[in-house]
Amino acid sequence: MNFANVGIYCFLASYLVAFVLEATRLWGRSKANRLFVLLFAAAGLCAHTIYLLVRSRATNLPPLVGSQQDWMLVLAWLMVLFYLVFTFLDETSAWGVFILPVVLLVVAATYLVGDAPKPLLASQQNLKMVHAGLLVIGIGGVTIGFVIGMMYLVQHRRLKRKHGQTTGLSMPSLARLARWNRLCVMLSFPLLTAGMLTGVGLGLYSKRTPEPVQFLDPVIIGYGVVWLVMAVLFGWLLRAKPAAGKQVAWMTIWGCGFLLLTIVGLQVLNMDSWHS
Amino acid sequence: MFGAADTNDEILEPALNLQVVYCSHQGSDLTLREKLAISEEEKVRAYDHLRSQFPDSEFVVLSTCNRVELYTAQESKENIPTHQQLAGFFADFHAIPVDEFFDNLLERTGADAVRHLFSVASGVDSMVVGEPQIVSQVREAYATARVNQASGPMANAMFERALKVGKRIRTETGLAEGRISIASVAVGDFGKSIFDRFDDKQVLVIGAGEMAIETLRYLKEEGVRELVVVNRSVDRARELADEWGGTYVEYDQLDRLMATADIIVSTTGADRPIVTRERFAAVRQQGEYKQVFILDLGAPRDFESSVGDIDDNVFLYCIDDLEETCERNRKVRQKEIAAAQKIIDEETDEFMHAVYHRATGPIIRNLREKWRDVTDEELAWLFGRLGEMDDRERKIVEQWVNRLVNKLLHPPLEALKEEAREGTPHGLMDALRRLFHLRD
Repeated sequence: MNFANVGIYCFLASYLVAFVLEATRLWGRSKANRLFVLLFAAAGLCAHTIYLLVRSRATNLPPLVGSQQDWMLVLAWLMVLFYLVFTFLDETSAWGVFILPVVLLVVAATYLVGDAPKPLLASQQNLKMVHAGLLVIGIGGVTIGFVIGMMYLVQHRRLKRKHGQTTGLSMPSLARLARWNRLCVMLSFPLLTAGMLTGVGLGLYSKRTPEPVQFLDPVIIGYGVVWLVMAVLFGWLLRAKPAAGKQVAWMTIWGCGFLLLTIVGLQVLNMDSWHS
Repeated sequence: MFGAADTNDEILEPALNLQVVYCSHQGSDLTLREKLAISEEEKVRAYDHLRSQFPDSEFVVLSTCNRVELYTAQESKENIPTHQQLAGFFADFHAIPVDEFFDNLLERTGADAVRHLFSVASGVDSMVVGEPQIVSQVREAYATARVNQASGPMANAMFERALKVGKRIRTETGLAEGRISIASVAVGDFGKSIFDRFDDKQVLVIGAGEMAIETLRYLKEEGVRELVVVNRSVDRARELADEWGGTYVEYDQLDRLMATADIIVSTTGADRPIVTRERFAAVRQQGEYKQVFILDLGAPRDFESSVGDIDDNVFLYCIDDLEETCERNRKVRQKEIAAAQKIIDEETDEFMHAVYHRATGPIIRNLREKWRDVTDEELAWLFGRLGEMDDRERKIVEQWVNRLVNKLLHPPLEALKEEAREGTPHGLMDALRRLFHLRD
């Protein structure tokens, strides 16, 4: 089998089918449906993994420090992994209805970004991996927080409107969603901060090399702004009362939504930047 | 499938020996069911009574608030209890005249009895279709019969299969999906969607109505420990608090208690709302605006409906809100009855086929044993006539004779198996008995 033929469209199509099947559970759940959803999502993840491995071999770079496209695909890969783990642990909740659209958006957005690798600071490969790894896990956590915030609002709306639980769109309790929502931001922010700090460290180191990088770069500035927004959200969460579940959900959605839009937007706009 | 009973060499006609006499919510009123009911304490005496009257039969008594059913199964053809005799048992046991209930005491036999049990165990026959309690009630009834040595191989097989059928229907259909009682919808659909756990929640009960008691039952099942009862009638409140392991607090403490409660269940029966929007808004200011789940089960309402709009963490539900969900779930379950019925028919056919097939077991065994004896005798005669033979030659002759016997037996045994698909093949079994001189 020639793995080089595996393209982005392969796993994008698998995730799309999985999402459509997930959406049909709104009209009733069945074991067969669940099985097919998991099969398509797992098949997509396999194709996704193969694609990243083939790319990594072709560019001779780990996916995290390859191109903008590779980095975003790693983020989507993480999201699918989260989705499969959640679905496996909690088969009643409609995780896919909320996570898969985000995955589809991120994967679809990769068609708009460059796939040429930017082999900057080749001597600091490990530190670059740490920098990109911390950022991608942090952003993955923030994205999950975004999804959980959405679920909280849908569940809250249902309860306020006094609608009984529909088997197709069952979700964890408000208390659990609020706890997980808070936890996602609390864990992600330190990772993002560590990712930023390693980035600054790499930037300072580059000043001593023949290829010094500029901090006044649109992507770097964009990330800085995002980090500041997350810092404000983190600080607010530390002081927020446990009862403020709905506000936490809204804040998370705004904060995380801004982060996702900025990061994906910066990549898609493909500004004149040295940063991938 | 039938375990120990397989060793019984008697020729059986079990299909005719399975029966149930019963009265349920579908054909008789509660007064009659109460008269015929056999409580757990009475079951020992009931089984003693049944055993002494019908020593060859197996029994299982299922007695719940919606049904009183007496299942009998018997391996021998003789002394099968009749409908009248079983009615007589109820009459003697409860000391009531048979005429008073005989017309309401229905009877099912053979496959119909099995189908009835499967319908009962799966909740298809329940007053509240798909209700889960019936499974444990059937399981307990069966366990009690076993402890009292009233059930036997046939009843055991039937009840074990019934429990499996019930489980299969719950898994493969939506018959048990969605809650359909006010209290279960309140706690299961709404309460559990708000809170993750209940063991750390404070429950405040205002009033002491029936609905509050039913809701408390569900809340207790979820682990609620802290319960406070407030009622204008001190005696009733104390009684309720004692019964459910809670505390009674004076009515004038209501506002303070509402400020700290996580769950409020109200069933006062007052003719106008006792908690207005202004009053509850003031209560909220005393607390930390934590999530509060209010079940207003009073008719008319105890809480003004606008109380639910005070802030994001107040979740107020009245009876109409809950009834709407119940009704929707009921409709969903009704749609699933056909699917459940299909499984019941399929399982009944399979079970009965096993029963019919089992009836042919002894005759097949008998036939094979008889022919083996003949084969052994004839081989001994042949080897005596042929004189010296080595082991290989003897083995070949033995194999040839066995093959011949198997080939000769194959057509009648296949015919018997084929006939057993439709029911106990009495005619063929009798023919085989007579043709081959088989004894029962």
